[in-house]
Amino acid sequence: MENLDFARLQMAFTLGFHIIFACIGMVMPFFMVVSHKKWLNTRNPLYLELTKAWQKGVAIFFVTGAVSGTALSFELGMLWPEFMKHAGPIIGMPFSLEGAAFFVEAIALGFYLYGWHKLPKKFHWFTGIIIGISGVASGILVVSANGWMNAPTGFDYVNGEYINIDPVQALLNPAWFTQALHMTLAAFVATSFAVAGVHAFQVYRNKRPELHKKAFKIAIVFGAVAAFLQPLSGDFSAKDIAERQPVKLAAMEAHYETDTNVPLYIGGIVDEETQTVSHKIAIPGALSFLAFGDFDAEVVGLKDFPADELPPVAVVHYAFQVMVGIGTLLMLAGLLYFISLKYKSLLKRNWYWLLFVFLAPLGFIAVEAGWVVTEVGRQPWIIYGFMKTSEAVTPMPGMEFSFYMYVVVYLVLALTVTWLMRRQIKVLNSEKD
Amino acid sequence: MLYVVLFFLLFSLLLYVLLGGADFGAGIVELFSSPRNKRTTRDTIYRVMGPVWEANHIWLIILIVILWIAFPVYFNVIVIYLHVPFVLVLLGITMRGVAFIFRHYDAIVDESQVWYNWMFRISSFITPVFLGMSFGALIGGKIILAEDFARYSFVDLYMLPWFNVFTLLVGLFYAALCAFLASTLLIGETEGEVRKIFSRKSAYFTIALVVLGFILIIYGYVQDVKFIRDFIHNPVSLAAVGLSAFLLVPLWRAINRQNRIASRYLAGLQVVLVLFAALYAHFPYIIITAEKELSLLEGLPPQSVISNLGMMLIIGGGVILPGLFHLMKSFGMIKILKTGEDEMGK
Repeated sequence: MENLDFARLQMAFTLGFHIIFACIGMVMPFFMVVSHKKWLNTRNPLYLELTKAWQKGVAIFFVTGAVSGTALSFELGMLWPEFMKHAGPIIGMPFSLEGAAFFVEAIALGFYLYGWHKLPKKFHWFTGIIIGISGVASGILVVSANGWMNAPTGFDYVNGEYINIDPVQALLNPAWFTQALHMTLAAFVATSFAVAGVHAFQVYRNKRPELHKKAFKIAIVFGAVAAFLQPLSGDFSAKDIAERQPVKLAAMEAHYETDTNVPLYIGGIVDEETQTVSHKIAIPGALSFLAFGDFDAEVVGLKDFPADELPPVAVVHYAFQVMVGIGTLLMLAGLLYFISLKYKSLLKRNWYWLLFVFLAPLGFIAVEAGWVVTEVGRQPWIIYGFMKTSEAVTPMPGMEFSFYMYVVVYLVLALTVTWLMRRQIKVLNSEKD
Repeated sequence: MLYVVLFFLLFSLLLYVLLGGADFGAGIVELFSSPRNKRTTRDTIYRVMGPVWEANHIWLIILIVILWIAFPVYFNVIVIYLHVPFVLVLLGITMRGVAFIFRHYDAIVDESQVWYNWMFRISSFITPVFLGMSFGALIGGKIILAEDFARYSFVDLYMLPWFNVFTLLVGLFYAALCAFLASTLLIGETEGEVRKIFSRKSAYFTIALVVLGFILIIYGYVQDVKFIRDFIHNPVSLAAVGLSAFLLVPLWRAINRQNRIASRYLAGLQVVLVLFAALYAHFPYIIITAEKELSLLEGLPPQSVISNLGMMLIIGGGVILPGLFHLMKSFGMIKILKTGEDEMGK
């Protein structure tokens, strides 16, 4: 493999790692403040205990997200210096705003974590809200910068120079809204189901079920609502991609021939050599309809794009299938939760809790798959239509060593954090046992 | 607006050196404490730094973001030629951050604390050393701006510029500066016997700082490092260093009297003077490569980008600074608390 491949692997790996921590750090504060509010309203000590347990989680994930984010802000330049040199001034605005949002979050976190018994109760609770809001704002802003890579606007490209830069237009690029909406909802779905799953497992094991059921409920409500909204936002995204990045859409659907009334493929095995897809389920006309709202609309196939501008089709197609499949599954799980509100007998079944344990990691797999679709689907471009990834990579050789080092460090880190979470739960369960 | 951006660039640099530095320094002080005092130092650090330590490090991100938006050419040189030391810095920042949170937030306190503690102490020491080495490389005059990267070996382009005696001295100097800042800051946060420990530490690190600074200047002069030559021949820079040397006297008195406010401000002033002296002689030519000096103002992005960033910084500063100030004030007032347990509201 070449330097470029290792640089891409490293970027994928570190981003993939950061996304998980960032999502949890972004969503968990909301659980924490809901539980905190319930404690303030009901004075039920279980809620206080839960709030304290979650705030430790928030602190741990915030810091891990923050350090991996700091590393990323350097890595963007260190791996892709040519990209940052040109893109930096254009998409600096979302990043500088994100820096501000992140700062606000760190300040609010300082107040919240250390403010117990020291700050007025309402203000203390309110700083928790600020953590959540600024976290979501950071996420939206960073995704907006990524949206610009998919839909570069706010400059003129003349003779290899990026001129007439308009940072506001770059921030509000055509992709920012659909991408940010999709990602924010995804963060809520993934984190909520993960947290709900962790607590469902404790209920299943019958460890302090009265506490963990409360935790489960707070988390799953967020998750179920978000999972229901997600297909809607996915539809916005698909229509947006169909219009602006037809080649990405074609790769997502592994759709080779240009045609009208195009079927939607579910599953299927992609053969990039022969440019065919076998073993798929085809729904007639559905892709034309989903992409353009018209069963007879024409969808351009991969064969009609220049061969050197095609992304790796199989990877994008499989990732897309995984994302949509999991999304559907989680939506059904959300439905099951709403049903269980009416039929409370479900809550007494072991399989009900086991099901949510099984679902716990799936949301994050979907998040990762979604990013594979966005990022791999954009290849070979780093700035869609303007700069290729191969032109942006660092001239420094030996990226494989850097990649291996990051893999080892981040894996150790991920294992340690998992281990810490287990210890947190263990202590939570052992109290008042 | 360019000046607004430049102001915020220098302001973030200064605050990172001061606040981030004090933060790193706290770990260094702990590293160089006797086993008996390590525990006390650890608790004091948590009490003092806990609420603000995350905010202290965001200045680095602000700094990077300003560099990459407004000074892309400059940023490009840093990220290409200083890739290796920055990987080490990032590793250090990561280790340090997680070790700090692990050791204070782990639900079970057992022998794994030993690991967290050592991880925190070691990374607190090596991170500023590598940061200092990176800065040393920028001014050391050994970076080769390559047109054709294949013509040079890996070692010539990516190792030698930052891995040499001069940069190591700069790195150690910065680490000493951090430790000096931290120990001086901690004097004001403790009482009785502990206070004495920190004031003794502060004196030691001041001596280390002065000695290292002296060696650094002599070595740079003898080795004909352009940065040091210009520095010595620049009257303003020299005056700033002279003033900082002169101010050591009242600083020492303040430390000796365990004066909380005066020692803190004087220590801060020392850093301002050292930073000013270092930057003034070359401003805006802050990168000195083998062939030429690279101006910070070279290859600036269009005016619209600069003015936009300037506005962002003014607005952002207006939101953040009062909040940060309030945070520091809120927790600065709360004096002696026993352990970390208290802080989490247990």
